[in-house]
Amino acid sequence: MSASRAIYARDLGKRYEVYRKPSHRLFDMVLPGGPRYREFWALRNVYLDIERGTTVGIIGENGAGKSTLLKLISGITAPTTGEVQVSGRVTSLIELGAGFHPEFTGRENIQLSCSLLGLPDGEIEERTASIIEFSELGEFIERPVKTYSSGMYVRLGFAVATCVDPEILLIDEALSVGDEHFRGKCMTRLNQFQERGGTTVFVSHDMGAVKSMCRHVILLDQGEIAEQGTAEAVADEYLKRAHARGNERMNVRDGIDEYPRWGSGEITIDEVNLKNTAGERKRVFGTGDEVVVELEFQAHADCRKPVFGLGVYRSDSTYVNGSNHEWREEPIVLEQVSAGETGVVRVRIADVRLLHGQYYLTAFLYDHSKASPTPIDHREHVATFEIVDAERAQHGLVHMPSTWTVERRTAGGEEVLESNR
Amino acid sequence: MSAPSDVAASASSPGWTIWVLLAAAVWAVVRLVPMVRILWEHRRLLRSFVVRDLKVRYVGSSIGFFWSVIFPFINLVVYMFVFRLILGVRWGGDTPPSQAALYMLVGILVWTAFSETVIRATSTLVDNANLIKKVVFPSEVLPPFLTLSSLVNMTIGVPVVLVFLVALSTEIEGPKFVFDLGRLGLPLVALPLLIALQAVFTAGLGFFFATLNVYLRDVSQIIGVGMTVWMFGTPIFYPFELVQQKGYGWLIDPNPMFWLVEAYRNVMLKAEWPDWMMVLRFALVSLIVLAIGTRLFQKNRQSFPDLL
Repeated sequence: MSASRAIYARDLGKRYEVYRKPSHRLFDMVLPGGPRYREFWALRNVYLDIERGTTVGIIGENGAGKSTLLKLISGITAPTTGEVQVSGRVTSLIELGAGFHPEFTGRENIQLSCSLLGLPDGEIEERTASIIEFSELGEFIERPVKTYSSGMYVRLGFAVATCVDPEILLIDEALSVGDEHFRGKCMTRLNQFQERGGTTVFVSHDMGAVKSMCRHVILLDQGEIAEQGTAEAVADEYLKRAHARGNERMNVRDGIDEYPRWGSGEITIDEVNLKNTAGERKRVFGTGDEVVVELEFQAHADCRKPVFGLGVYRSDSTYVNGSNHEWREEPIVLEQVSAGETGVVRVRIADVRLLHGQYYLTAFLYDHSKASPTPIDHREHVATFEIVDAERAQHGLVHMPSTWTVERRTAGGEEVLESNR
Repeated sequence: MSAPSDVAASASSPGWTIWVLLAAAVWAVVRLVPMVRILWEHRRLLRSFVVRDLKVRYVGSSIGFFWSVIFPFINLVVYMFVFRLILGVRWGGDTPPSQAALYMLVGILVWTAFSETVIRATSTLVDNANLIKKVVFPSEVLPPFLTLSSLVNMTIGVPVVLVFLVALSTEIEGPKFVFDLGRLGLPLVALPLLIALQAVFTAGLGFFFATLNVYLRDVSQIIGVGMTVWMFGTPIFYPFELVQQKGYGWLIDPNPMFWLVEAYRNVMLKAEWPDWMMVLRFALVSLIVLAIGTRLFQKNRQSFPDLL
């Protein structure tokens, strides 16, 4: 292994034997008539050659093999095929509270972790102080970690993982927990670590986070390396796959009946479809795309003045937008709908200004013939869709087109820098 | 109670078995080298686990350390009441009646340390899954740390027994307090050897059942019941001679825990040297059990993170 190499893997693979019952594993050991398991390759044909001092991102959907890869690199599990070599001390932040003994106090866990890493006693004493200081746990350090909040777990975990002078740091999405203040501190610490020549492997399914931290990115898909290279190149491939997969998922019926639905039922909204400009059914759109929502309805009885509406929510139930065809400058008024009639209500959203995330739609059908509207068919959560934002130039909920200028006044005169896009 | 030589005669098996055991024990010692090396490498971790476990035992409770003293004392009082006063159990032979309780106490002290460890060790891998699955953790330290912790705890109870031995009268009319240091003897120096052998035997079973329990979680249930059965199959609450008289001696003869408990009683209560043949046999069996246990453990060790 060359001196400049931090992680090297050749033909790395991990196979799990999935048994229906744990006892079947025992039968396989002692009885003929096996095997009784189903093979599952969590990881296959992985070749890695990571230079010292780089920050590598590993990205992929849930179950793509990211965590398995980290476990193999850190040596927690043994590979089924191939080999993996690492140089130097490896610490990892694999999961919340991983590697802590719930009954031990914070301080005892620090000592446990340090001695697992092979630090001599004297050094453990030294490090403990700096770990406690960085974690900002105060008096909680003397309490069992089972009483900790998730933020406290991360603080302690991060402090231990980075205060012991690792050469390789493996991080699995742990940083997303914790308050802004601590996150900032972590980022500073990580930057220092990178500057000192440490190697970081960062695992996430958040493309934005990976892009902001890593220049080299590896995309895992179903246990194999689908793409690797610069963050930009891999990000494109990732989005392509996300689109393909999202649209595949569309064929699986949404769990429509699981969500509340109420109303008098003269007219029913039977189907809700999302389409792109070309009229193809889609579930994944990009920021700025055109989205067409179609509500197919059927009247079972006569009805006066029905009004269709549409609500857009983010997956965390944030109400993003609501509209209907009556409250407009040019309202559409349906005076009378008769039994047996069917039709389609089409909502064309010219420019979806939503940023990266999961969203869902709620369809409203209300009777506006009375003093206050009464529900005819109100269907919560009728369809879900995903917005993939390739640029990730803005964060938050909505995209707001903006221009930026920077005016610099220096001794040499004035300079104005401008960005319109 | 009969002389130790009689017990030996009753518990003896054909002469060739000792040679088979000896040969197997040589194999066992060779097999044990890698495990000993691993434990030595992680001795600091092992120590901190033991210290931590003892702290939980003592620091958590308000009178802490004294529980180890009070527990045997309460046991003694209960046994004296139930077995001596109510049931009128006599230990047989020339054993002073008031000392029957002490015989039981020694038995229970040794047994508790043993069974507690085996039961805890059986589920220890499952209990520590968080460590085994998420960090590079030498799971080899788990059964030994439990063994050491309970043996330290047992050792604290030993002086208590000796104090009772010195202080209780041997008269038939009931408990009377005397003070007779003459009841202690040189054979007490054999205690560390017995404790060490007990550790080997206990840890061996611990490794064995810990591994089995990963594959078959029912093992920890079975062990719970099994230990109770085993306890009553060991002369703890009754003298071996009683069983022998009824013709069931062959049931108890091959029980290593019987050999061990008898050795402890000889050394602690009778100031006699243990029957060395029995001790040798226990030592050999213990080594073999430890070798088998660690071998099973080591062969499956790599897959623990995947199985838990």
